[in-house]
Amino acid sequence: MKMRWWLVLFLPVVSVLGISLAVHEHAVGLAARPQPAASAAQPVSTAPVSSSKATTIPDSTLGINSPTPMSQRIVHYEIDARYDATIHAVDATEVLTYHNLTGQSLDHFPFHLYQNAFQPNSTFVREAKIAGSRDIAYDEWEEKEYGSEEIKSLEVIGQGNLTSQLQYIQPDDGNKADKTVADLRLAKPIAPGEYVRFKIAFQTKFPKTQARSGWKRDFVLGGQWFPKVGVWWHGAWNCHQYHATTEFFADFGVYDVKLTVPQFEVVGASGVKVGELNNSDNTKTLTYHGDDIHDFAWTASPRYKVKEDGVFHGQMGPVQMRILMQPAHWRQVERHEKILRESLEHFERWYGPYPYKTITLVDPEPDSAAGGMEYPTFITGETNWFMPDGLYLPEIVVEHEFGHQYWYGMVATNEFEDAWMDEGINSYTEVKVLDSILGRDTSMINGAGVTFGEREGQRLGYASVADVDPIAQKAYDYYSYNSYGGITYGKTASVLLTLESIIGEDTMARAMHTYFMKYRFTHPTKEDFLKTIEEVSGRDLRWYFNQAIYGSQVMDYKVLKVESFPANWYDETKSHFRKDDKNTVYRSYVWLQRKGDFVMPVEVEIKFDNDEKVREHWDGANRWTRFVYEKKAKVISAEIDPDHKVQIDRNDFNNSFTTAANRKPALKLTNYWLFVTQWIGQALAWWAV
Amino acid sequence: MAEYQGLLSGGWHRVMRNKRYIFWFYVLNVALAWFGAAGFNRQAHDFLDHSLLADRALNGFDLGAVVEMFMQPEFGSIHGVTGPSLHFALLFFFLTALFLPGVLMGFASTYRLPRGEFFRACGTNLWRLIRLMIVAGIVMGAVAGALFGLHGVIEKRAAESTSELLLPEVQFVGLTVIFLVMTALRIWFDLAETDVVLSDQRAVRRSIAKSFGHTWRSLGRLLGRYVVTTIVAAIVLVAGLWLWMKFVPPAGIIRAIFVSQLLLLLLLIPRFWQRGMAVTYYLQNMVQPIAVVQSFTSTPLVAPTMVEPAPVPIPPSAPSETAGS
Repeated sequence: MKMRWWLVLFLPVVSVLGISLAVHEHAVGLAARPQPAASAAQPVSTAPVSSSKATTIPDSTLGINSPTPMSQRIVHYEIDARYDATIHAVDATEVLTYHNLTGQSLDHFPFHLYQNAFQPNSTFVREAKIAGSRDIAYDEWEEKEYGSEEIKSLEVIGQGNLTSQLQYIQPDDGNKADKTVADLRLAKPIAPGEYVRFKIAFQTKFPKTQARSGWKRDFVLGGQWFPKVGVWWHGAWNCHQYHATTEFFADFGVYDVKLTVPQFEVVGASGVKVGELNNSDNTKTLTYHGDDIHDFAWTASPRYKVKEDGVFHGQMGPVQMRILMQPAHWRQVERHEKILRESLEHFERWYGPYPYKTITLVDPEPDSAAGGMEYPTFITGETNWFMPDGLYLPEIVVEHEFGHQYWYGMVATNEFEDAWMDEGINSYTEVKVLDSILGRDTSMINGAGVTFGEREGQRLGYASVADVDPIAQKAYDYYSYNSYGGITYGKTASVLLTLESIIGEDTMARAMHTYFMKYRFTHPTKEDFLKTIEEVSGRDLRWYFNQAIYGSQVMDYKVLKVESFPANWYDETKSHFRKDDKNTVYRSYVWLQRKGDFVMPVEVEIKFDNDEKVREHWDGANRWTRFVYEKKAKVISAEIDPDHKVQIDRNDFNNSFTTAANRKPALKLTNYWLFVTQWIGQALAWWAV
Repeated sequence: MAEYQGLLSGGWHRVMRNKRYIFWFYVLNVALAWFGAAGFNRQAHDFLDHSLLADRALNGFDLGAVVEMFMQPEFGSIHGVTGPSLHFALLFFFLTALFLPGVLMGFASTYRLPRGEFFRACGTNLWRLIRLMIVAGIVMGAVAGALFGLHGVIEKRAAESTSELLLPEVQFVGLTVIFLVMTALRIWFDLAETDVVLSDQRAVRRSIAKSFGHTWRSLGRLLGRYVVTTIVAAIVLVAGLWLWMKFVPPAGIIRAIFVSQLLLLLLLIPRFWQRGMAVTYYLQNMVQPIAVVQSFTSTPLVAPTMVEPAPVPIPPSAPSETAGS
């Protein structure tokens, strides 16, 4: 039925737009041969925006604990949306006011239509099929599970209906079937400093949850659900297609959103709720307002249980913590609130104030691919009905997503091009915060005699893909999904943790604080971040950044060999030297090797059998080096990085060498192995004989 | 065996009278597993013995350190250590099948079965048991496949529910049903194996048919007792692991070896107990009466001098009404 409906609507539309496209291409001569983006050149059906209303961006502060705006507000979205829960679709009108602060005339505007990514031939799906998807098996994907975002009409106030001017473009890969970006060419350019208002009627059909957006059962997460204008950045529009590994990038501004949903729905959303009205048709209209944010997300489910009495008293004012939990997870609500509160405390203390009046934490539908996502003042966690106390998945996810309020929400880096600057920096602060709250080696698992730390988890994520990709590259250029994850999250966290060993933990903390305060509510680049660290530390760190951030060099240092023998071995032999003679002078050699191509100075600790310890410094410039000692003692061990500050060494086991074998660890693990082998044999015999 | 008419007590008594089987199967289990784990042992020693980081695996169980060890090319191939372990586990399974007839014969016997008789029973019944195992494999595989398939369909439906707890509840019920059905099949083939060995039955199909009838008729009685022994095994496993975690310090290697091996030794008992119950059931219900034709005479019978006990088919412990007919 749906397919036929589409055809009836689509065929005449294609005919009309085909003609208009031909005319347009002839006139404009677009290099990229874009495709028509709107379904029909219909007039906007709703009332036009009042011409008497002053075109400006509000300087409201309803959503923040600040008397004045905190960002340079470029956009103002006014959206009136009605959600049809039966077809998981939103019909809406959007009035976008854009303030041209680019310093030059703008004659075209690109828009993200993210939900079109969830179509079979989109770039997102193409890439996900190759690189792998954590959400869905595309081979079993049904049409009713697709998503779409269709602009019904687009009017530019003062320039008329320009729906026919919308063209799909594919700036990244030229995939003509990808419709995640549409470009609008204006009849009249917008001068510098001027405002322009777009009035857009659109329909979004949510996919069955993918990439932390969409529906599952009677739940919906409305993320990236409305046409969003691109960002003018470094002298050009920055509006990438939606890729399997990319997230988002948008300008700060004000959001006024009206959501009409069935009355039985429990709703959570970005910003602050400023109105609620029950309608006669068993729906209700909720009104939300957000200041100094760059996106707006919402969720609805009839079954959320809500806790909203928690208040965090932050540096700029009170923050209401609103937590929406699944009924089967309700006994974990305190656990969620605790980690949210502790994350707020740590971030305020270490990096800077949280200025918003609310933070909404959503425990999404189980098994929904909607868990673990960040939107401004709105995050989703992830848990299960069975979650033992020593397993910290909810804590990790909540902390991580809250961290994005800083690294993405306020320091709004380009997630298409520099994913490491939000995910990676956030992973670094995640390690720091969780180390502080849950313990350095126990922040992921601490129970049943098993421990596992977040720090180690990030390092292992990196180590598994260490030699594949550098950090500094576009998120959609990674070799694979694993490489994207391991490098963007794990390597960045490990690189920044290692940086602490170079400039000092306190200096690093000051650098992070400075970076946040300087670049909050802006779009910093990677060099902004790296230069801030250099400025705060007062050191030239290019040698490190060039390898760790821009390069794909791998670090692997090894204690190659340790040997001690009597210095006067020849005479000693002749005089019947006894091995335990305490007056014997030994010549000891310690060889170190740099196996990888990452060059970094390291400390080395050599221990002797008279309890003496010697610390050495090796610059790592050559492939190997050797330390020689003459003492009345033999070397018993040598260890590179004895304080365990370096997190990017791929193999920590070969960083040390003891002359005497300690057989206990291997024996212990062998006993485990033996136990499992025996047990498997018994289990086989139990059932099969 | 008159004092142990109950299946549980009868089976248990047979196991206790033949504790040496458990010991030897344990020795077999640990010896084979040691061969299987030898590769891991060597690689682990090569990799860990001279590294200070190895202490992280010793003092506690740092999962990160263990994962990192497996990730390193210097540790060696994962397949290189998992392969032998699985192969030797499989070998234990085959050897269990080989020695099972001797165990069943020993359980049925009222005297200590001589070694020669034990191995003779093993040799005589080897191919019969292999044939039985093939049939059991086909039946159990087909039933398990069908049940898990059905379980998957029900799971999928349950997963669509808005009640999150429905899925784990369905999974629990489904797996319980599968366990019970598979246990019933296990009982069927346990009785068939017992019948083949103790009746010296060459036609395996007859034992299968006969055992099926008995399993069906006495399902409740047999299944209840098999479930009890399985629960005992589960309790032993959980309690053993708990003791290991609770009372053995992370670096207490000797104590860990002792506790783990004791646990594995104890875990062998429940399955032998089930075998003992199958033998008890067989002797009580499945032994065919043998017609003894002899004339009544006043001449006293002279008992033949026997160097060894009479061979099967009828074990000396057969019920009195059968022996006296």
